[in-house]
Amino acid sequence: MAIDPVIYFDGMSSRRRAAALVFADMLEIDAGDGAATRWAYADIRRADSPSGTLRVSCLTAPPLARLEIRDAAVAAELTSRCLGIDENYPSRRGVATIVGWSVAAAVSIIGVVFFGVPLAADRLAPLVPESFERRLGDVAERQVKLLFGDKVCSNPAGQQAFAKLVNALREPAGLDPSVQSAVLSTPIPNAFALPGGKVFLFDGLLAKAQNPDEIAGVLAHELGHLKHRDNMRGLIYNGGTSFLIGLLFGDITGSSALIFASRTLVTASHSREAEANADSFAINVMQRLGRSPKPMGELLFRVTGKEGGGLSILSGHPLTEDRLARMSREDQPAKGPPLLTPEEWQALKLICVTGSKV
Amino acid sequence: MNVTTSVPSHPPPLPVSFTGNRNEFFRLVARGAGLELVTVGFYRFWLVTDVRRHLWSNTLIDGDAAEYTGRAKELLIGFLIALAILVPIYLAYFLIGVEAERLKSFASFPLIAAFYVFGQFAIYRARRYRLTRTVWRGVRFWMDGSGWAYAARATLWGLFAIVTLGTALPWRQAALERYKMQHSWYGDLQGSFEGRGWEFFKRVWWLWPLTPIAIILFPLAPFLYAYYKAVEWRWWISGIRFGGVRLQSTLRSDALFDLYWKVIGWSMLLSTAFGIFIAVFAGAIHAISGPSATPNALATSIPLAIVTVIGYLALALGFSVVSRLYLSRDLWVRVLASTDVHGIEAAANVSARGDLASALGEGIADGLDVAGF
Repeated sequence: MAIDPVIYFDGMSSRRRAAALVFADMLEIDAGDGAATRWAYADIRRADSPSGTLRVSCLTAPPLARLEIRDAAVAAELTSRCLGIDENYPSRRGVATIVGWSVAAAVSIIGVVFFGVPLAADRLAPLVPESFERRLGDVAERQVKLLFGDKVCSNPAGQQAFAKLVNALREPAGLDPSVQSAVLSTPIPNAFALPGGKVFLFDGLLAKAQNPDEIAGVLAHELGHLKHRDNMRGLIYNGGTSFLIGLLFGDITGSSALIFASRTLVTASHSREAEANADSFAINVMQRLGRSPKPMGELLFRVTGKEGGGLSILSGHPLTEDRLARMSREDQPAKGPPLLTPEEWQALKLICVTGSKV
Repeated sequence: MNVTTSVPSHPPPLPVSFTGNRNEFFRLVARGAGLELVTVGFYRFWLVTDVRRHLWSNTLIDGDAAEYTGRAKELLIGFLIALAILVPIYLAYFLIGVEAERLKSFASFPLIAAFYVFGQFAIYRARRYRLTRTVWRGVRFWMDGSGWAYAARATLWGLFAIVTLGTALPWRQAALERYKMQHSWYGDLQGSFEGRGWEFFKRVWWLWPLTPIAIILFPLAPFLYAYYKAVEWRWWISGIRFGGVRLQSTLRSDALFDLYWKVIGWSMLLSTAFGIFIAVFAGAIHAISGPSATPNALATSIPLAIVTVIGYLALALGFSVVSRLYLSRDLWVRVLASTDVHGIEAAANVSARGDLASALGEGIADGLDVAGF
């Protein structure tokens, strides 16, 4: 195939025409079909092309009309006449603009993650209708029971003792009687609160406990979560930060690790704060009942051991030793009556024994 | 009568050529990856556009180069529109999920299927965007058809593939390609797809029982995958028609082995370098803080954490450059080199038709993290 120095495509059909150029006051393109096409030099723009070919379009011509010049001298001649030829091409300034605005967007997203989302979570959580929160709680409860086995401990004497303990704590906590609570038979030492006023205690924690005050402290802590609506706040907070951080990194290779890491850092700090607040709440409730909060710290310490060393900024809880130290500072001799009698405490410890056999 | 004219000659098949400079492409993606990190990912729209412009404008068919006329700003706008659509959908997904879970635990799982349908829609619309930005000889490609009709087909075929334990996948692919190609046009030249599911199946069925072994026996997996991709490319290219223009690929089944192994090799090399770098830095910190320092001091060392993050970012940057260089450019070049065009004279005088499509599909595909061709 012969190399035509100049080829013209009129943008209306794919016909390839060899053309002759005349550099008059406008660029005249004679493609051999009568009247020449005339392009104003100022309207001519560069289009993408392989190296060795100059390809241009014209603002006033059909958008896809193209003139291709494969002769370096002709190309240079045309380029020298078209001052705006590179106007559509991104310059260094263009890139700087992109970088600048991206950094601004990143800063504002980070700002919203650190200041806006926690504020939104605090303000929005109380606005969530209780019925919706209860629905969420039902869903979570089903899933918990599916994961840990639907084994609610139901020894009558134990249940009575458990109800007494929860009620004793509920009143100074300022929560209404709609709070639901249960002990689940699983060896994992844990307790948690679910949205909509549900508190679950795992038998594994009871097994590690040495006196009622230890369990009372933990339950008071969970009631603190209910009181502060930490579940709802956490949900809004985690949803918001996940979304915003996902927005930031988009699809850079390996960004999922980056997103995961930054999300862990940010949500852990929020969760630590909520845990510390629930601890304050528990300390306050225990002191109002005339009991010491220290046993709770001791129970936690017994369960986790010394935690120090790992990256504490990654943890969702304050370090157990710090929590124990804090509760020890608030230690005071018991002024109030014991929360459970020794018999009731024994019954509570055995709440899962006969229950699980029924 | 004197017959002087020769027998009507069939023009020989035309190879497609690629004229791009590899170093230039490397500079483009390396710079782009760096800018992507600096801009926490927002530069991706510009990088993707630059990569496409480079690949398109250096692809010559019958001596004339293609052109990609899409611009990054369109992708950015598409992304923003997709956000406006996806955010309420995510919220609705959450609320419906709560209701479904109340009826039965984990009942909200099927809702994920809705995202699959949506993802297929996005793939179709993203293809339409790319095609309407593809210009050759001053005439653009374009697409009609419906993204939802495509999504429905893709989903039903997907279900069928699940039921048949994956054996129906080649037929699924053939059916979907037929839909896409029948609705693809070059000017007034309508596309079609002549690949048959059976032809594809014949070549790849034996991979199916081998896959479980490949998962255990690591070095086998890249071979199988590269083989599969090569067969898929050849089958796909050879099925493409635009009016009387026929494409034919002679890509060998082993043609892509080295590309995938190069990516794996470079990734291992980069990861090892990253590991050594962190180890040396940790050693240095340990030496500075003296023998009394516990391992815990190292774990909580802030400078080490910062250096790890920076090293990780550099690693990610390296990965993205390597994968673009080998799996975007080199693969493209190799596939092009294997491609012949028959009957190009049918495209000699095609009238321009078709309108530009928006980048919404690209935006949704970006938001849902799906990709397709």
